[in-house]
Amino acid sequence: MSSVPGQMHRAHRPGGMSTPTGWHVVARLLPMVILALFAALALGAWVGLWATGWREISGPAWAGPSLDHWFGTNQIGQDVLARSLQSIAAAFEVGLIVGLGAAVLGLLVGALAGYFQGRWVDELLLWLTGCFESIPYYLLMGAVLFALDGISGALQLAMILSFWPAVARVVRIRVVVLRSEGYITAARVSGSHPLRIVRRHVIPHLYDITLVQVTLLFVAAIKTEVVLSFIGLTGSDSISFGRMLAEAAQDLLAGQYQNFAAASVLLFLLVWSLNRFGDELQVALDPRRPGPPLRRRLDLI
Amino acid sequence: MTSNASMVGLLLRRLGGAVPLLVGVTLIGFLLTQQIGPDPVWELAGRSPTPAELTALEAQLDRDRGGVGRYLDFMAGLLRLDPGSSLITGESVRSIVGRSVPVTLALMLPGLILGVGLALALGYLAARHRGRRLDRWIAGVSALSMSVSLVIVVMLLQLVFSVWLGWFPARGWSAATFTDWLLHATVPTLIVVLVNLGYNVRFFRALWLEALQLPSVRAARAYGLSERKILLRRLLPWAFGPIMTRLIFAVPMLLLGGSMVIETHFGIPGVGRVFYNAVLSGDQPVILALVVLTGSLVVLSQVLVEVGVRWFDPRAGTR
Repeated sequence: MSSVPGQMHRAHRPGGMSTPTGWHVVARLLPMVILALFAALALGAWVGLWATGWREISGPAWAGPSLDHWFGTNQIGQDVLARSLQSIAAAFEVGLIVGLGAAVLGLLVGALAGYFQGRWVDELLLWLTGCFESIPYYLLMGAVLFALDGISGALQLAMILSFWPAVARVVRIRVVVLRSEGYITAARVSGSHPLRIVRRHVIPHLYDITLVQVTLLFVAAIKTEVVLSFIGLTGSDSISFGRMLAEAAQDLLAGQYQNFAAASVLLFLLVWSLNRFGDELQVALDPRRPGPPLRRRLDLI
Repeated sequence: MTSNASMVGLLLRRLGGAVPLLVGVTLIGFLLTQQIGPDPVWELAGRSPTPAELTALEAQLDRDRGGVGRYLDFMAGLLRLDPGSSLITGESVRSIVGRSVPVTLALMLPGLILGVGLALALGYLAARHRGRRLDRWIAGVSALSMSVSLVIVVMLLQLVFSVWLGWFPARGWSAATFTDWLLHATVPTLIVVLVNLGYNVRFFRALWLEALQLPSVRAARAYGLSERKILLRRLLPWAFGPIMTRLIFAVPMLLLGGSMVIETHFGIPGVGRVFYNAVLSGDQPVILALVVLTGSLVVLSQVLVEVGVRWFDPRAGTR
């Protein structure tokens, strides 16, 4: 891969790689700053420091931005800023629950399958992974939402059930590679218990890919929640970016942009920062990789 | 190219290997909708039904039998290409699929093909100019496309093209004439292209980068072949397999999954909206049939892609 002639046509052009300038530093730091800010806002809204009055009708309908209502009000006079802050908190919540849930499930299945590679456990788990993988996300999620009709947490479970195969695949391949490593063979022939090998020598090598997967799942969960809430498949009285955008669909026809502007800008900033963070993470953890190849299955959302 | 007989053998072997997956997909669908899902007897029975009415409904819906028996019945129906009919309207799933799939294809295929074409070109440009300004610009646009929610793109394009400019109808569907189809499919096509552009560009940029490292490409360059010839004779044949794989996988994923938002928002009677309505109204047989049919389609396209790529390039299996 790193043969010299292959690199020639890229390397010898002057000005190909520019040195980091102030602008580049800002571009790299900006996502982290936005994420930290959003996380603080979400935490504050979650513990009730601010944005507690998001349900209350606190002003005239469809008011423009003012000192009382920085982002204006919605169709029935609720404060758009308070609802935006609650939506940020809701996005973090769904991202964390789905990200961690799918990562844990995928890690478990992938590690087991990889450890027993070629044996019946592996065959069985590969089959299970393949079956869940074969049903397109929205159909699987729709079926789960139908099955768990109205149960709280159904949405999160639906996403976890749809997303875990992506993690399992990546983890399994890593474990298969790890198994053939010399130090694991050495541990095995020296009589270490399999569980000890898994704990000491396998799991520490899975942290990096799991971390990357969690960031990808985080983004996928937020985007999916928006889609499902927007078309009204998540029945609850909570608030989220998807619900704000569903409201905004009505507003737009009436020429009102408060909900749409607030939800779309904040949602974009959140997802863009998370994507940048995920990319940086992948590069930092595996600098040799040319592109972001771990995405594959989580595409098309 | 390998002999046709061995290709048919490979196809049959792979199809045989796919049977467990197909069974698994039907099992997941059946368990979710029929076993875990709400009991349709209670959904259909009116208020305070008598025991006799309930028994009659149970018999009518086959609910008085065990899950295994109903699963086998469903499988038998599936093999006869008759996966049941709607609880709400009584229309057979076959007729529902027959009228909605062509709509979804006419709606989504242009966007899929245009999007992949554009992404191939942009990805090639980015790979050729790796690390330079053009590459960074394309990466920036890709990041933008990946970070915008489908919902926002849908609302924004509808607002601009249908409400402000008034060029296209804001809702509805007609493909009676070519002009009708253009009027109704243009905005959805733009949406599909924009939303998938980022992911596609990234994928194809990585693919072209790998292709540009091939020894054959280096040799061709050393012999002084033009970049155009290298692209047509070395890169494209090498990348054909991955491109087809991505395209064919995108069909069931995008057409039958991703079309839900676009079709519900624009009021287009495609598969996505049929599925959405079935979930909302609790139309169990339709949900089950669509889950199983699309799942099977994904499994079968996987087999076809594998065999097709091997047929095109016999070394593929060893790579």
